[in-house]
Amino acid sequence: MTAVLERPAPPAPRLRRDRRRWAWGLGALALVGWALAGSGLFTGPVLNPAGTGQVGRFLGAAVRPELGAEFLGVVAGSTLVTVAYAVLGAGLAVLIGALGAVPASRTTWGRRRTGWLLTRGGLALPRGLHEAVWGLLLVNVLGLDPWVGVLAIAVPYGAITAKVFADLLDEVPRGAYRALLAAGAGRGTAALYGLLPAAAGGLLSYSFYRLECAVRSAVVLGLVGAGGLGYQLALSFTSLRWEQVWTTVYALALLCLVADVAGRAVRRRVAAPRPGPQRDPVLTGAVLAVLALTGWAVWYLALSPAALVSERTREQVAWVASAAWPPATDGDLLAAVWAASVETVRMSVLAVAFATTGAVALAGLAARPGRPAGPGRAALGVLTRVGLLLLRAVPPPVWALVLLFVLLPGVLPGALALGVYTLGVLGRLVGEAVEEADRRPGEALRAAGAPPAARWLYGSVPALAGPVLALALYRWEVVVRDTVLVGLLGAGGIGVLLSAATSSFDWPAVTTVLVAIVLLTVAVDLVGARARAALR
Amino acid sequence: MAAGERVAVVGASGAGKSTLLGVLNGSVPPTAGSVRVLGHDPATLRGRELRRLRARTGTVHQHLELAGQLRVVHNVNAGRLASWSAARAAWSLVRPQGTGDVLGALARVGLADRAYERTDRLSGGQRQRVALARLLVQRPELVLADEPASALDPALADTALALLGELATGRGGALLACLHDPALALRHCDRVVGLVDGRVALDAPAHALTVAELEGFYGVSR
Repeated sequence: MTAVLERPAPPAPRLRRDRRRWAWGLGALALVGWALAGSGLFTGPVLNPAGTGQVGRFLGAAVRPELGAEFLGVVAGSTLVTVAYAVLGAGLAVLIGALGAVPASRTTWGRRRTGWLLTRGGLALPRGLHEAVWGLLLVNVLGLDPWVGVLAIAVPYGAITAKVFADLLDEVPRGAYRALLAAGAGRGTAALYGLLPAAAGGLLSYSFYRLECAVRSAVVLGLVGAGGLGYQLALSFTSLRWEQVWTTVYALALLCLVADVAGRAVRRRVAAPRPGPQRDPVLTGAVLAVLALTGWAVWYLALSPAALVSERTREQVAWVASAAWPPATDGDLLAAVWAASVETVRMSVLAVAFATTGAVALAGLAARPGRPAGPGRAALGVLTRVGLLLLRAVPPPVWALVLLFVLLPGVLPGALALGVYTLGVLGRLVGEAVEEADRRPGEALRAAGAPPAARWLYGSVPALAGPVLALALYRWEVVVRDTVLVGLLGAGGIGVLLSAATSSFDWPAVTTVLVAIVLLTVAVDLVGARARAALR
Repeated sequence: MAAGERVAVVGASGAGKSTLLGVLNGSVPPTAGSVRVLGHDPATLRGRELRRLRARTGTVHQHLELAGQLRVVHNVNAGRLASWSAARAAWSLVRPQGTGDVLGALARVGLADRAYERTDRLSGGQRQRVALARLLVQRPELVLADEPASALDPALADTALALLGELATGRGGALLACLHDPALALRHCDRVVGLVDGRVALDAPAHALTVAELEGFYGVSR
């Protein structure tokens, strides 16, 4: 063999590890180990022996839900209330988002960063608190008014939507906008003609996504007393009427399923518009239907703006505001907040670790195979996808209520409840990532005779590891917010403290706990963002 | 094809060149008839037997089969996963195994100094040479090459094909290469097969053909 390249022998190359990635990887492993160690799984009883009898009766009722005409009527009415909250909440959120996107986008401020930073900082507060927390606070200010449900969704969603809308506008290529400015158009007109058309698809798609999430949030809000399906569920639960519980669970799972499927169908159509000049009739229909629903919801909930500006509301707001400041700072409370925060982090870490492991294990089954498969494999795939769909159709607090039968309160029931729900979400996302991944490296390894495990390691994992970990980190940020929610129902963590403080009207303590929650979510967001950056 | 033979397959895009290679390495099932590869019919083999046959057949594509996120050393090692246990394959991703062979193979394609870089940081031509190094580590008896020189400059294309030919014939095997460049086909192969719409339209020893004749053949099929 002739030498390929006549060169002096270069020094032997050396393997240089990416220290940053190794640090993050080992850190994540240590975090999961720490969370497991603190879960109580190895240190004491976790099962609740008293609850096993109830569990039997509860599970037995699954096959004979209450189907009496009267109760079905109640459930139908509750479903409508939930839908009305969701539609109005999401509609108001999109309105707030559209108005808020102007001061939150870089385009508006140009080189002046102060105003942009202030707006972004201001949005962090409403964003950091879960809808259920807003619901709890608003109930105390407005009483049992339908505005509670609507505002509890609209305030946090509005803040998120404003941020996302602003990002969408900022990501549009500047060419057309600059050309219009250069031609003498005002900044508003230029944005209308140069930015909005390019961003319209993304904005519409995200609005529908918010509506889809709002349905789930509206169910959850019922659990903290805002009415609707969740409220009905809580009533049946506390009176131990399992047949009714199951009817409600089926209704809310169905509602969440419909929202999930319809929302995805609409968003797919936005993402892949049909050729030709005509509007997509399905899309137009969906937009009109949502607008009509909004009008109906105002009428159905008998929503009146007067309730927001009434004398009583004003007095209540003033009283709560004066009582809530300054926050409580006594040592006992701070120690309890610290312990609960640690518990919350443990819970969220365990939930995400469980969900990620499960999602990766199921990914091969959940993804539609690239090559034609046998009937057994196809049936298994459908079964897996339907199973994941059911897991995410039931909101985490409902899972928590069920798990609290068998498990003692603490880290474990909350972590499992969130983990099961997150598995439903992550399983779908990871399955989709597998479907979209390039199959050629794996096929080439198959052609070279590599066994399946090696094919997976060298062909699939390299391309998928980054996106899957990024998804898991993003879900971690979501789970930390949801941890507060399952805590409100007694599953442990910082939510327990909040529910104790609000039910005893200890407003200074409420403020302290809220500050802790916001700090916690901001900290997790920061860590998540840094870790995702290290993955790229 | 006889042992020690080097065959070039020529033809326009869509003439069936890649399908032919796919049928030979067993990744495309034949719609009619059967093939015998190294004395076996891949369609009748299952599991371990099929993998053993596939390990003896080396395919090099247009570098699209490499995992861009892995370092070069792992992509080269991927050629011999058939003979590695799963544990060894996994451990190698943490601490690369058999680096001596890998560095040797990379040195023969002129990439020894890039062994530990991420594969997607390399240029198209460099990645194609990584794919060649993978084949060198696999040491197959039958070498199937799909446009192995398409992203290489003329000098490197010559060395790449010489390398492939030597790899195959040196061990009593054979080389089957799809090529777009007629001159390259005539310089490095003993026999030329031309495909038009999936059928053999030409089968002649290379010394009986001229570059002009082959260019005419491309012209006909286009």
